Amino acid sequence: MLIMNNVSRIYRNDTIKTHALRDFSLHVNAGEFVAVTGPSGSGKSTFLNVAGLLDTFDQGEYTLDGVNVHGLKDDDLSRLRNEKIGFIFQSYNLIPDYSVFDNVDMPLRYRNFNAAQRKRRVEQSLEKVGLASRANYLPSQLSGGQQQRVAIARALAGEPKILLADEPTGNLDSLMARQVMELLHKLNQEGTTIIMVTHDPDQAREVNRNIQIIDGQISDFKIYAPLQSSQVSQTETVKGKESVDA
Amino acid sequence: MLSYNLKLAMHSFKRAPSLYFLVLLTLSVGVGLLCANLALVSSMAGDPIPEKSGQLFHVSMNTWPNDQPQSEPFHILRYREAMKISESDIPKHSAVFYASGVYARDSESESLKRFDSSVRATTPGFFPLTKAPFAYGNGFAKSSGMEVVIGAALNQKIFAGANSVGKTLELDGELLTITGVLKPWSLRPLFYHATEGRAFNLTDDIYVPLETAIDLGWSIHARTSTTVSYKGVQFTRDRDVFYLQAWVELEDKTKQEAFQNYLDNYSQTLKDAGEHPLDILNELRDVNTWLSELKIVDQKVLAFTLASVLFLCVCVFNASSLLLSRFHSAKFEVGLRRAIGASNKNILIQGFTESVLLGLVAGVVSLLLSWLFLKLSITFLPDLANIAVLDPKLLLLGMLLALVTSVSSALYPLYRANRFTISAELK
Repeated sequence: MLIMNNVSRIYRNDTIKTHALRDFSLHVNAGEFVAVTGPSGSGKSTFLNVAGLLDTFDQGEYTLDGVNVHGLKDDDLSRLRNEKIGFIFQSYNLIPDYSVFDNVDMPLRYRNFNAAQRKRRVEQSLEKVGLASRANYLPSQLSGGQQQRVAIARALAGEPKILLADEPTGNLDSLMARQVMELLHKLNQEGTTIIMVTHDPDQAREVNRNIQIIDGQISDFKIYAPLQSSQVSQTETVKGKESVDA
Repeated sequence: MLSYNLKLAMHSFKRAPSLYFLVLLTLSVGVGLLCANLALVSSMAGDPIPEKSGQLFHVSMNTWPNDQPQSEPFHILRYREAMKISESDIPKHSAVFYASGVYARDSESESLKRFDSSVRATTPGFFPLTKAPFAYGNGFAKSSGMEVVIGAALNQKIFAGANSVGKTLELDGELLTITGVLKPWSLRPLFYHATEGRAFNLTDDIYVPLETAIDLGWSIHARTSTTVSYKGVQFTRDRDVFYLQAWVELEDKTKQEAFQNYLDNYSQTLKDAGEHPLDILNELRDVNTWLSELKIVDQKVLAFTLASVLFLCVCVFNASSLLLSRFHSAKFEVGLRRAIGASNKNILIQGFTESVLLGLVAGVVSLLLSWLFLKLSITFLPDLANIAVLDPKLLLLGMLLALVTSVSSALYPLYRANRFTISAELK
């Protein structure tokens, strides 16, 4: 699903050159739930931005769902983001004066869906996150947990291959965080690949694999849980790859 | 996608109404002021008869009987030259005329109220040459006879706009029968009499046969030059009194050359008879060349128009600066949209839709402001009344100008909005 080989991302200004990612290699197979941990400034967000095609990289190779993204034009990158990736942000990133429906509808507007198709997809997504009855609410009328679930519905509406979550529970209390994590696990069990940046070691332990990034490189990995029985063959591939990473 | 972009534009306007109002006002004032000036320039510099302006020629001759004061061709002619021009069958049409004025009333009316009316004493060719539009009847067939054609405004005043053909007008005590009534007729500039500061006068109230006006002694209300004294216009036919203007319609180059030769040959006969002391120099100038040589476009208006263009540039910069702050505050949403799949092209189209919508509204407001500016101009400068007009072409130009300036104002802000990486926009 996601293959990065020796990817580097360097930020430069007049005086400083910062290696945010350094020879970064990672393989993530379909159906995996990977947690990414590490101290602040270690390169977690940079990794997620590069993985989500929100940022460019300077060296290396990156293949997403069989597509080598190097050298792709903006239109192609946008289509990849729209069709294959769903983003979940720490601060939800909902448009405050759009209704829940319109927020979830946003990514679908950039595909050639007609109104009926969009409506069906939005309703299905909201159904999945348990907010079908809140379609006409404004984000400000919802709790933090509900807002994050709307953001998850927005990410799911395009039926992406992979979900990229940047500290999805960072702004939530423990009860709401638990609800969101349960939702993510449910989605993963239904087959969605998830990569989640988190600071919470408990959450990191709940997933299939935890990789730790320090100074832009993977410094450690742990396997906490086997994949579902239906994904056994993939589990073996994942383990194989981890040994390469190690 | 268009409907979605329109919806987003409306959202955007609702989010920052004050800012967009300022942008709208800035662009509208700039475009409105420029349009008002262009309306004046367009009236002054426009082609009054585009369908045949290249075939109508003003005749200037230098038949002055001594070598002072006029060595250059003169725009007014003696009666004898005017008749020589009228006699020629080379032009398709020719018109010889002078301007006069009378008091007019319906001879059958009980009211003694008279209307001060401008008169064009002319030959029958005047009407086809100028394409004067008839509402009722037609022009007079001869240069003499007690007949008149009247303009729409006078017909409205005296006969309430009804068909007055066959009715009799009392003009300075003389009774003349109406053969035709013109439709409202506007010539901007009034090419057939653009000299002596009359280029933006209205068309005339009354058109009367030339010989009739001369016989009746209707005075000349225009420039005259003479080397002799005379008691009235009825005594000008065989004297060196210069007061008639002449226009001819020459359909092609061959006819132009033939008529030029005709004039030059006539001048040569005068020279041979010792009546043409100057070198022969007769000139034919088509409508636009003639108007251009007369420099009827007010240089102050041109200067003010140039200033309006510069002012509009300042308005565009101001609007751009306001929009830049708006787009800066929308940076996050741009980043979010790009993150979930909008391409740079999508964002640009969204921005352009917004600016086109803004431009359309600015266009309407700017045309209203143009109209107001012109009304104000007329209040302070009543002479502008006949030329301060917004015609359909200018209305269209105003709308286009508003659209172009609105889109131009958004170019730099849109470029800025799309130049960062998405991750930077989302921070």
